[in-house]
Amino acid sequence: MKMRPSSMPALFIALMALLVAITAHADNFDLARLMQLLTLSPEGEVAYTEKKYSSLLTEPVVSSGTLSYRRPDTVEKNMVSPRKERFRIAGEELIVARKGIENRYPLSSQPLLSAFAASLRGVLGGDAELLRQHYRLKLEGEEQAWRLELTPLDDEIARYVERIAVSGRGGHVEQIEVRESGGDRSVLQVR
Amino acid sequence: MLARCALALICFAALALFAAKTLRVETDFSAFLPPSATPEQRLLISQLRDGLVSRLMLVALHGADEKTLAQASRALAEKLGHAAEFDYALNGSLDQFAAQAEVLMRHRYALSPQINAPHFSAPALHAALVEQLDQLASPFGVLSKATLARDPTGEFLATLRQLDPGAMPALRRGVWFSGDGKRAFLIAQTRAPGFDSLRQAEAIAKVHGALAALYPQVAVTLTGPGVFAAESRRLIESDALRLSLCSALVILAMLLFVYRSALPVVLVLTPVAFGLLIGVLVVQALFGSVHAVTLGFSATLIGEAVDYPNYLLLNTARGETARRAAQRIGGTLLLAVLTTVASALALTLSSFTGLAQLGVLTMVGVMVAGLTTHRLLPWLLGDRVLEFRRLDVPTGANIARARWPGAIAATATLCGALWLGYMHPAWWETDLASISPVPPQMRELDSQLRREMGAPEVSFFVASRGASEAAALQAGEEILSVLQQWKQGGRIRSYDSPAWYLPAPATQAARLQALPDTAALQENLLVALRGLPFRPDAFTPFVQDIAAARMEPPMNRASYAGTPLGAKLNALVIELEGEWLVLTPLVGVNDPKLLAAELAAMPAGKSSLVDLAQISSQMVAGYRREALHQTGWGALLILLLLTVGLRSPRRTWRVTAPIAAALVLTVTLLVAGGQRLGVFHLVALLLVLGVGLNYALFFERPPADAAERARTRLSLVVCSVSTVATFGFLSLSATPVLHAIGSTVALGALLSLILSALWARPRISEMHV
Repeated sequence: MKMRPSSMPALFIALMALLVAITAHADNFDLARLMQLLTLSPEGEVAYTEKKYSSLLTEPVVSSGTLSYRRPDTVEKNMVSPRKERFRIAGEELIVARKGIENRYPLSSQPLLSAFAASLRGVLGGDAELLRQHYRLKLEGEEQAWRLELTPLDDEIARYVERIAVSGRGGHVEQIEVRESGGDRSVLQVR
Repeated sequence: MLARCALALICFAALALFAAKTLRVETDFSAFLPPSATPEQRLLISQLRDGLVSRLMLVALHGADEKTLAQASRALAEKLGHAAEFDYALNGSLDQFAAQAEVLMRHRYALSPQINAPHFSAPALHAALVEQLDQLASPFGVLSKATLARDPTGEFLATLRQLDPGAMPALRRGVWFSGDGKRAFLIAQTRAPGFDSLRQAEAIAKVHGALAALYPQVAVTLTGPGVFAAESRRLIESDALRLSLCSALVILAMLLFVYRSALPVVLVLTPVAFGLLIGVLVVQALFGSVHAVTLGFSATLIGEAVDYPNYLLLNTARGETARRAAQRIGGTLLLAVLTTVASALALTLSSFTGLAQLGVLTMVGVMVAGLTTHRLLPWLLGDRVLEFRRLDVPTGANIARARWPGAIAATATLCGALWLGYMHPAWWETDLASISPVPPQMRELDSQLRREMGAPEVSFFVASRGASEAAALQAGEEILSVLQQWKQGGRIRSYDSPAWYLPAPATQAARLQALPDTAALQENLLVALRGLPFRPDAFTPFVQDIAAARMEPPMNRASYAGTPLGAKLNALVIELEGEWLVLTPLVGVNDPKLLAAELAAMPAGKSSLVDLAQISSQMVAGYRREALHQTGWGALLILLLLTVGLRSPRRTWRVTAPIAAALVLTVTLLVAGGQRLGVFHLVALLLVLGVGLNYALFFERPPADAAERARTRLSLVVCSVSTVATFGFLSLSATPVLHAIGSTVALGALLSLILSALWARPRISEMHV
């Protein structure tokens, strides 16, 4: 059967419509959607590897361990290798256990601490409001490959941290990169 | 008569003008502190006057949300830090320490306690680098990175850790806050010493002004010794003025009511005015200045000096000239003046400037008032007979004749004396703070803020002595091992040694000599870096810094110029009487006696524990002993005067017994009312003695007839109303000194009047002696 020439534009229109629909769907992926996905993602524990790059080092220092998140506000980073170290943000405190000594720091005490805690809690808990208190947000990519950039609002913090880039897939965070103001950076990769 | 009045007026005006031109008022409260006998006491006084603690001002910001308070705290600290009135203003924020941190960083190799030769060996360096690598990879790496290349062995941190004051307020948003986040705190050190109330007032105004310009919505509370000085000066001045004005108005109203004529009122006020003016001028001439408390006290002189002219005028019979009346009562008047002078004489001999000033003022003022009454008033009036209505005061004959009121008073006095004897010495004041003119509410606010800040009051410090600054610092370092042991054992909460940030020159030299030369260091570093991912040239700044440190001269006080630590050094490392002292404040000392013994047992023996509370209570006790002795001598002198003047032991007894009873009852009532007797109460009791004896003498003078008896009654009622009015108002003052004097004298005067009326009146049989 031979197609009538008149049907060609119709197909074209249909294809265009489909394309537009897909693009529109991609456009739909915005910060609100990302936060929603992050809110819905399950709590739990993941393994990570972190690489620290510094101008003082010839090769990066590698460490690894587990990262866990429990709603509403508990974040724990358990370093296992090359040595045991634990950072735990819970309630209003950061607790650091190192060489058998536990130190507690109230988050409200230093702006750098509260911004640091907010970046982890905001991203893992999908709390845009909390993030916006400390950072300017920029979202790139699509639902299955997004990249959220946090730039500190406060000069006090910008003195140390240039920006934090979090990337992931759907409701899962895959990588957190912290770029320090001096040019050093650390990349935390979820395995 | 007009000419004479004009002459007197001109004299007075000239004196007043002279006084207004030359009068210098000072408020240094230490004028009321005893001249100190022991070196510890002198140290305490010097600390109270212009030591570190006396210069600290506590600033609490409140009345806004946390964010605003934090911003206001930063802005205010910045502003005050550059103000001429302040050395520095701290709020706990890190960037404030930038200048100071630079000094500490630069001199870290002279300051760090962990420096010795093995510290820079290859194995030690390797261990330090491994630790640094850990730090770098941790979330805090961003902080340690800043100094890593220059200071891989962590001397800067070791120095900082040593300086950590331990107890500090909680931090919120990077600045000091109360636990509940409702108040932001700053600590500012004023350039002016704490006792300089005028410059302290300027510093206070600066804080208020700066805050009003930056954050008008934020409320501020200030406390601290300097704030107290300024505030109490303001209080004394306003109280003295306001209360003197009130009592003057009441006295004026009463005089107008009694005399119903202007001339007698003016005449009554003349001796007071001359007495006050000349008294103040004599104080100024003798002491170079007049203390504000002395001036406040001048109000009390009014109450006493106004009695003499009243007694004279109200004792003139109808148609009698003042001159004749003055001749008639002259003997009694003279005795009244002399007894008051005797009571004040004791004060004049006091070694405390403040008390001596009070004594001179009272003595001169009363003498001048007495003389003016006896000589000037009759001379002014000449042959003129004063006409005014004489009020009739009911005799209360029934009560006077009855025996029971006297018996009750005697019993009460006896009971009071026994009770006081039983309770002794619990009712003596032992706190030096009682001398300070600061109202208790302000002290309460201060300690509340200190509690919230977690900044406990320092009540102990160790004083380490030396012939030179270096020797004193050396002595200050020697106690550190003992103090560290005590701290680790939990027997001291914290201590703050100036030797931490200014080690003795010998200690600094030893540390710098332990630094390796460049070649040796580079060699050790090369070995240490083996197996580590650091770049080979990463620590070039470290090698350069050590080479520079080896060339540095030892650091000194000037190294800290313009930083908070510099201001602190100036307060804690001081020269006093040709000797150098290093003061190490201690907080939370468990067993002061043991610590004192341990320090005394140290081989060099150059350090001793100074217990501020103990010294101050010793001083108060010494102060009180002196005041008691003087009161005793004064009383003896008065007794002698009366025996000679009255020429009869029996009459002397009749005059003194009611006053002695009045004194006992006054003290009983004060103590029963919860007051503790301090030096100012003793001074006030001396005044009661003077005033009370006047009453007793006036009462006791045998009257010629019923008319004269009525006149005596009237004059006494007028005198006592004026006294009670003056001192009653004074007792309303918020300033402890003025309140103590006011309440004591008002009570004592009233009791003296009642008891004199009961006991001192001559028996009917002696009426015509």
